Amino acid sequence: MAKISNMKAINLACFDEFARDDKVIVIGEAVGQKGGAWGYFTGLMAKFGANRMLDMPIAEPAFCAFACGTTLAGYRPIVEFMFADFVTIGLENIMNMAAKQRYNSGGVNSCPIVYLLPQGGGASGSQHSQSVEAWMSNMPGIKIVAPTFPGDMKKYLQASIRDDDPVVFIFQRAIFGLQEEVPDNLPVPGSLLNASRVVKEGTDVTIVAYQRALINSIQAAKELEEEGISVEIIDPIVLRPLDTAKMFASVKKTGRCLIVHEAPKIGGFGMQISALIAENCLGDLAKPIVRLGGKEQPIAFGKACDLYMFPKVEEIKAEIRALVR
Amino acid sequence: MNLSNEQLLEIYEYINYARCMGERLEYFIKTGKILGAIHLPKGQEGLQAGLIMTLMDARKNGIKIYTNPHTRDQALMSKLIGLQPYADEMLCKTSGINGGTSGEYHMTCVEKGFLPAQGVLGPVWGQNAGFAWALKDQGKTDSVVWGIYGDGASSRGDAWEAMNIAALFKVPMVFVVVNNGWAMANPVEKEAPVQDLSLRAQGSGMRGITVDGNDPIAVFEAMVEANKLAMSGEPNLVEFKVTRWGGHFLGDNQEVYRDTSFLKHLDDIDPVLNYHKKLLAMGLVKEEDLKRVHDEQDAIILKVYEEGMNKPAPTVDEICDPNKVYGGAY
Ligand SMILES: Cc1ncc(C[n+]2csc(CCOP(=O)(O)OP(=O)(O)O)c2C)c(N)n1
Ligand SMILES: [Mg+2]
Repeated sequence: MAKISNMKAINLACFDEFARDDKVIVIGEAVGQKGGAWGYFTGLMAKFGANRMLDMPIAEPAFCAFACGTTLAGYRPIVEFMFADFVTIGLENIMNMAAKQRYNSGGVNSCPIVYLLPQGGGASGSQHSQSVEAWMSNMPGIKIVAPTFPGDMKKYLQASIRDDDPVVFIFQRAIFGLQEEVPDNLPVPGSLLNASRVVKEGTDVTIVAYQRALINSIQAAKELEEEGISVEIIDPIVLRPLDTAKMFASVKKTGRCLIVHEAPKIGGFGMQISALIAENCLGDLAKPIVRLGGKEQPIAFGKACDLYMFPKVEEIKAEIRALVR
Repeated sequence: MNLSNEQLLEIYEYINYARCMGERLEYFIKTGKILGAIHLPKGQEGLQAGLIMTLMDARKNGIKIYTNPHTRDQALMSKLIGLQPYADEMLCKTSGINGGTSGEYHMTCVEKGFLPAQGVLGPVWGQNAGFAWALKDQGKTDSVVWGIYGDGASSRGDAWEAMNIAALFKVPMVFVVVNNGWAMANPVEKEAPVQDLSLRAQGSGMRGITVDGNDPIAVFEAMVEANKLAMSGEPNLVEFKVTRWGGHFLGDNQEVYRDTSFLKHLDDIDPVLNYHKKLLAMGLVKEEDLKRVHDEQDAIILKVYEEGMNKPAPTVDEICDPNKVYGGAY
C-alpha cells in the first residue's frame, strides 16, 4: 500500500505491463531519454531499452499509422499525444485505420493500441486545454477510458493495454498530482465492461461526472450534506463501452440527475449519458436531466483558463439545489 | 542482371495476365458483377508484370514480400493471395479473403503478405513502415515491405512523414511511386514542381531512382536491387513512370480534362505489345503466341470469376457480426 499520484499510476502501469509482455512498446515524441513531456515514462527506457521506447519526429499521422503496422506483427503499442488536442492530426489513422482494422480483415486482425491523451484545463489556452472524449465517441471499433483516481488510472491503463481493441485513454492534466492509497498488487480488470462505480452514496440527486468535474462534484456534495441534501455520485470510468447499470439504478432511486464534464455541453459526452437515462429512466425522473459543461467558446489562456472556463463547485451546488427544490 | 529465357517467358505470362485482368475487370463492371469505382490497370501492365516477377523470384529465394495495392494493382494482389479468394472478395462473396465485406479498397491477409489496404490515400506508407520496423525488431531478415503509391497519393503529408520515419529507423522497406501522370483529373505538373518524384526521397536522405515502368525487365531489376538495399537497412524509393490509358475509374470521362490523342497511337506505347516484340526479336516467341498466351490467361481469370459469381454473399448476420467490430464483441 502506497500513496501515489495519477502521474505515478501511469508510470507504474507501464512498468508492470512492459515487464509482463515484451510486445508492449511506447510510440511518441520525447518518450525515451526524457520519459515523455509529462514525465510518466521516466525510467522505462533505462530498464527496457530504446527498442521499446520509440522516439518519433513530430509526425502524429504517420506514427499513428506506424502503430497499426506494428500490431499486425503482434505488438501492443502505447501511442502518446503530448496534448489531447493534437489527436485531430492523428485522427485519420485512429478513426479510419485502427477502428476498422478488425472489420476490414473479417474479424482476423486485432488492433491493440492505447492512445494516451492528456487533456483539459491547465492555463494553456485554446489549443492545449480541450477535452476530447466526445470527438472520439461516434466511432464503432474504438473504446474510451477516462479515469479520475490513481487506482483506477493504474488498473484501467493496464486493462487497456491488455485489451485487443484500440483504446483511447483520456486523463486530465489538472489532476496529474491527485493522490490516493493504492495497493501494491492492485488486480487488473479482465475487461473494460461493467467499469463504473458509485463514488459516494446518497438519496436525493444522482451526479454522473468524471475527471476534475468529478472531483468538484464530490466537493459540492460534501458541502451540501450540511444543507441536508444527499448526493449520489457515479464515476463511469469507461465511456465506451459505457456501463449504465449503476447509473440507471441510481437515477431510479433519486429521480434526479446532473451530468458534469469540462467539455462544452453541445455535442459533449453528457448528451449520450443524458439520452440513455432519458430512454431508460424517463418514468422515474421527477425533474428534467441537467447538464453542466465548459463554456461554449475557445478556452482562454492563462489563469482565466481554470478560473472561468469549466464547471465550478459553486455552480454544481446551485444546480443540485435547483434540482431538489 | 541476365535473365534466363524461362524468366523472360514467365514475365510474358504475367504481362498478359495483367492485360487480361484489366479487360475482364472492365467487362465485369460493365455487366454489373463488380460494384464500386474500380480503377483499371490498362497501360500499366509492364509495371504489374515486373512487380509480379519480383514477387515470384523472391519466393523462390526464400524472401517474403509484404505489401498492399495502390489503385491499379489487381494483378499483383491476386498473385499475392491467390486469384480465387481475391476475385471472391471483389465480388463481395463470403469465400472472399475477408468474407466479402472489405471489397477492393480494404483487403488484407497478413499471413500471405497482404498488409491492410486503405481506402484513404496517405497512411499506408506509415502503416507499412511500422510493420517493417516490427520485422526488423524481431530479427526477420528474410522479409521486405513495399509501400506502393501513385503520384497523387505520395503528395500526402503522411507519406512524407513515413519516408522520414522509415529512414530514421532504417526499416526494410521500398517506397514504390507509380507515376502515371495523373491523380484523378490533376496532371502531375500540378502536383509536384519537379521532373522526377524520386527526388522526394532525398528529403529523408534515402536513395530515390526513376525507372521506365513500361519495361517489365527494368522494373524487375530495379526492384530486386531495391529489395536488397532495403533489407540491408537502407529503405529507398523507386519511381516508375507509366501511362494511364483510361479515365481515373471506369466511367470517368477523361475527355473533359485530358488530351487523349495518344490513344490513337497506343501500339507505340503498349507495354504488352512492346514486350512481345522484344521476345519476338530474340526468337523466344512466335507471332501467334501473343494471342495464345493472352487467351490462356483470360480463360484462367474468367473461370475463377465465374465460379465466384455462383458463390453465396454474406448474410446480414455475417455482415453485422459484432465480433468483427470488437474482440469478443466488446
Ligand atoms: C485522402 C484521399 N483523398 C482523395 C481520395 C480520392 N481518390 C482516390 S484515387 C485518387 C487519385 C489518386 O492518384 P494517384 O495516387 O496518382 O493514383 P492513380 O489513381 O493515378 O493510380 C483520389 C483523389 C482518397 N481516396 N483519399
Ligand atoms: Mg497517378
